[in-house]
Amino acid sequence: MITAGIDMGSRSVKVVLLEQINVDSAPQLQYAVKKAHLMMPGELDADQAAERAFSEALAAAGVARDDVKSVFATGAGRKQVAFATEGVTEMTAGAKGAVYMYPNARTVVDVGAEEGRGIKTDAEGKAVDFAGNEKCAAGAGSFAEAMSRALQLTLAEFGEASLKSDRTIPMNAQCTVFAESEVVSLIHSSTPKEDIAKAVLDAVASRVCAMVRRVGIEGEVVLIGGMAHNPGFVKSLKGAMGVDAVSLPDLPEFVSALGCALIAAERQH
Amino acid sequence: MNDGLFDQFKTWYEKRHDYARDWKARTGGQVVATMCTYTPEELLIAAGMLPVRVLGAHEPQNVTEPHIFGMFCPFCRDSLAQGLLGRFDYAEGVTLTQSCIQYRQAFNSWRMHVPTVTWDYYLPMPNDVQSPHARKAHHAEVQAFREFLEALTGKKITDEMLQESIAVVDENRRLLRELFDLRKVADPQVTGVEALYASLTAQFIDKREHNEQLKKVLAALPNRNLNRPEGVRFMTIGSENDDIAFMAMIESVGGTIVIDDQCSGTRYFWNESLPEADPIKAIADRYCDRPACPTKDYPNHTRFDHVLGLAKDYNARAAIFLQQKFCDPHEGDYPDLKRHLEDNGIPTLFLEFDITNPIGPFRIRVEAFLETLTEDELF
Repeated sequence: MITAGIDMGSRSVKVVLLEQINVDSAPQLQYAVKKAHLMMPGELDADQAAERAFSEALAAAGVARDDVKSVFATGAGRKQVAFATEGVTEMTAGAKGAVYMYPNARTVVDVGAEEGRGIKTDAEGKAVDFAGNEKCAAGAGSFAEAMSRALQLTLAEFGEASLKSDRTIPMNAQCTVFAESEVVSLIHSSTPKEDIAKAVLDAVASRVCAMVRRVGIEGEVVLIGGMAHNPGFVKSLKGAMGVDAVSLPDLPEFVSALGCALIAAERQH
Repeated sequence: MNDGLFDQFKTWYEKRHDYARDWKARTGGQVVATMCTYTPEELLIAAGMLPVRVLGAHEPQNVTEPHIFGMFCPFCRDSLAQGLLGRFDYAEGVTLTQSCIQYRQAFNSWRMHVPTVTWDYYLPMPNDVQSPHARKAHHAEVQAFREFLEALTGKKITDEMLQESIAVVDENRRLLRELFDLRKVADPQVTGVEALYASLTAQFIDKREHNEQLKKVLAALPNRNLNRPEGVRFMTIGSENDDIAFMAMIESVGGTIVIDDQCSGTRYFWNESLPEADPIKAIADRYCDRPACPTKDYPNHTRFDHVLGLAKDYNARAAIFLQQKFCDPHEGDYPDLKRHLEDNGIPTLFLEFDITNPIGPFRIRVEAFLETLTEDELF
């Protein structure tokens, strides 16, 4: 049986095709990811983006549409996935996916393009509490992206640059616009880019951490969402949360789509 | 299903300024903009006036910055904006009964800068209503307001006139309680949005007319079949929350609001006056005894058990805090009230409200909250 999870994020669409498997010698193995596909929609509207991302994933996996038993959607644009069987929120999907990958995970930090959030989960991967940033971009990936543009660095360079700094520069991360003007001031005062990059990521991490503290930091901490690719952010987040380790999935941006596909599969039983 | 039963309340809410203008043309009486639900409306009604509570419009505005700080709560800014934009140009008077300091500043700006205001009155009600001196002090203030109104209109407000207006206002409170009590049962035949329309409109429609409409609705309700699943039963907690679009959103994603602790809802009408030979005492005591808002709830926090009691009585499964941004009194209560509810089995969700609210992100939070409450069947 194949199910699909589609995460309609604000910047990209993630699709996971999940196949139920039965391995007699390893009964804990119940599912295998058949395909993980990411698409940056560009100018497409949300309806078309979901359809195209799903079609691309099916084609890449060599799976016929009729073979997909159920499609669950999540993300800011989940209501636009017209062909989805059902939808769940990002909190429910993220918790499910994270606990499937890391059974001891109880705190899930999800930082995507638009929003950062902390999720407290139980052993079943059920979200029991959550907190997210309210109305501004600070605390989310789009904030880091805007700041990297101000520094004229690619996102990859931005994260690497911050690792070269050991300075702490306090920065107001409440508002992207104000923070950008702070970055410009730092550039004018000849502050090294590495220090500015670290200041920005420290500020994002501090804001994300404040949200996670609202739900409490317990058990294994897993970071999901695109910002998990940024090593500078990961370091800043560990420092802000006061934890030695944060678990990082190989494909952190797909964890919520995976959670969706898992819920879709479990709903079949 | 919409059987139109609450349409009159909805129309009144949406066209409240038209109603007030029409009332004025019809009766020749004065209209008074009232700020805060501690206003003793009984006096204004006895003086032949129409009290109209100032509510916001939930629209972006740019007129309040010269007058009050941006860190005053959205309700302060939205209320003052309505005055400055001329939306209450039919109201001769404006009055505030003391609650919070920010709203007092909004009132001061209103009375100074809204050109159509011909009179204003500040009623300094004690915030420490638990003090043994509070009732006596408030009695004196209510009496002073009575004398002010008599001097203003040149007409005596007799005890008989006051007893009559107390009876009208108490009837309104009683009818609203009756309506709200119908939400205690499973699959209630009144939605949260409908109940909110009823309690909000009571704050600016002629009470006698409002009472007649409530009686009509109450008479029709036993035969009503809404035929909608109630989903999760919610309580809402906060202050002046009249964001209908938000409440409707909650009730569109698998929930029903069955009770509230808000001044747009139960805190406005919950208790009636106790019979007293001295009507001023009946009025003053009633406002000291009403379910407290956080500005008047110390040193003892009476509202914590009151809120929990409402949640239990109305079988609320969970509560949503609708926190007006920068509202210090409510924000101060929040951590302890949240703990009090959660320790007693009522999970909570916190949302911060502004003049306009982002329904999309709020919908996701409410849906996620619903999933934490109900998703057992998912697993």
